Amino acid sequence: MGSAARQRSRERLKEQREKDKRKASRMRTLAVVGAAAGVVVLIVGIGYAVLNSDRSGSEFDGALAPQVVQDDGSVVMAQSGVQAPVVEVYADYQCPACRQFELLNGDVLKETAASGEAIVHFRPVSIFAQQPVPISSNSLRAGAAARAAADHGVFVEFNDLLFANQPTEGAAGFTTDELKEWFGETGASEEAAAAFGERVDSEAAVVTQFTEDYLPALTEDAVEQIGQENLSTMVLSDLLAWGAEHGHDPSFLDGTYTGEIIDATGTAYTRYSGDNAFRATPSVYINGELLDNSTAMTVRGLNGAIEDASAGEVQTEPLADAGGAE
Amino acid sequence: MDTAETTSAPPARDRTPTWRTVQPWLTLACRVGLAVVLITAAVSKYPPALSVQAVEAYDLLPTDLARLIGYTLPLFELALAVLLLVGLATRYAAAATTLLMIVFIAGIVSAMARGLSIDCGCFGGGGQVDPEETTYGLSIARDIGFAALGAFIAVWPRSPFALDRPLGLFR
Repeated sequence: MGSAARQRSRERLKEQREKDKRKASRMRTLAVVGAAAGVVVLIVGIGYAVLNSDRSGSEFDGALAPQVVQDDGSVVMAQSGVQAPVVEVYADYQCPACRQFELLNGDVLKETAASGEAIVHFRPVSIFAQQPVPISSNSLRAGAAARAAADHGVFVEFNDLLFANQPTEGAAGFTTDELKEWFGETGASEEAAAAFGERVDSEAAVVTQFTEDYLPALTEDAVEQIGQENLSTMVLSDLLAWGAEHGHDPSFLDGTYTGEIIDATGTAYTRYSGDNAFRATPSVYINGELLDNSTAMTVRGLNGAIEDASAGEVQTEPLADAGGAE
Repeated sequence: MDTAETTSAPPARDRTPTWRTVQPWLTLACRVGLAVVLITAAVSKYPPALSVQAVEAYDLLPTDLARLIGYTLPLFELALAVLLLVGLATRYAAAATTLLMIVFIAGIVSAMARGLSIDCGCFGGGGQVDPEETTYGLSIARDIGFAALGAFIAVWPRSPFALDRPLGLFR
C-alpha cells in the first residue's frame, strides 16, 4: 500500500514536471514567434516609411505653369523664358506603368515647372496602336482627346484625368462620353466643351476606321508580301508609308490628331540612339538623356535628376496658331 | 521504465543516425536557398511604383490595396528572408513563406483562368505581355519548388547556425 502510494505520488510529480516543461516550451515558442513577428513588423514598417518618405507633402495644388502646344502635338509646360533642364515624358494613356509614373511623379512635374526648376515636355505616344482592339483604340482615342484638350489649354489637367480613369488593359474604356465628361471637369467653357466634343467624336470615328478596317487589312497584306519577320521590325509609321505605296491609302489620317500621335510615336523611335533609344513607355528624358527606372519611378530620383541637370533646349517649335480655342 | 523514453522519443523518421546528421544541414541549405530567392524577389521589385503596377495587372484588388501591397510585399519578403537567414522562429517563418507561395500560385492560376496575359511580376517586371509570352506554367512550377523548400524547413526546423537554438527551440 505504502509503496503504491509513493509510486502514485512519484508519477504525479513526474506528470507535473512534464506539464511544466511543456508549458515552459510553449512559452519559449510563443516568445520566439513574438520576436519574429516584431522583426517582420519592424522591417515592413520602417521600409514602408522610408519608401514613402519622399512623397510626404509633395501634393501640388498651386497654379500650373503655362502650357504651350508644339508643332508636333506635344505640349510644353514651363514658365515663359525660363532656363532649366528639359524633362521629356513619353507616355501612352493605356500603359499601366505610365499611370504609375503619373500618379507618383505627376506632382513633381507640375511643381518643378511652376517653380521654374524644369521645363516639362509632355510627349504623348501610342505604342499600343498595333495591339488588338480595345487596347489600340483606347490608346489612340485617349491620345487624340488629350491633343484636343491641349487646343483649349487644359492638356495637363486632362492628362491627369485620363490616367486617373485608365481602363484595365484589354477592357473597353475611354469612351467618347467619358472623354467629354472628363473634359467638363477641367473647368472648360461650354463653347470649348462643344468644340472638344465634336473633335473627339470625329477622332473616335477615325480611330475605329483605323483599328478595325484599315490596319487589319494593311497588316494582312504586309505579312503576305514582306513577311511577319520584317514586319515586326517596322514601326507603325513605316508600315503606313509602305501601305501608301501598296494600295492602302492612309490619307484619312491626314490632319487628324490620331494620325498626329501615330507620327509622333514613329518619330520617337528615331529621335534617340544607343542607350538613350526610345523602347517603351513611360520613358523620361532629361536634356535628351534617358532616365533609368529607379530614377524616373521614384520621387527622390526624379527630383534629384532635375536638380543635378543643367539648362536644356526644347527641341520643338510652338504651334503657329497655339494659344486660343479654335 | 521507458515511459520517459517514449514520451520524448522523436518521430520514427528522425531515428536513423544518418538522417539525424544530414537533416540539419539540408534544412540549413533550404533556409539559405529560400532566403536568397526571397531577397532576389524583393530587390527586383524596386522601385515600388512598378511593383504596384505588377499587382494591379492581376486586376484583383482595389487601387489603394494594390498600392499598399505593391509597397509592402517586397518588404515582407525581405523580412521572411531575414528570419530564415538568422534562424528565428524558423518553422513559422518557413510556414509563412510556404503560405505566401500558395497565395502567389492562386494569383497566377486566377490570372490564367481569366485569360489575362501578364507577367507574374515574381522577380520584378510584371504587367501586360503578349499572349504568347506568358510563362504561367514556369512561374507556378517555380513557386511550387519554393513552397516545397519552405515545407521541408517547417517539418524539420532543426538546423545549425540558428538563433532558435540558444533560445531553446528546435535543438
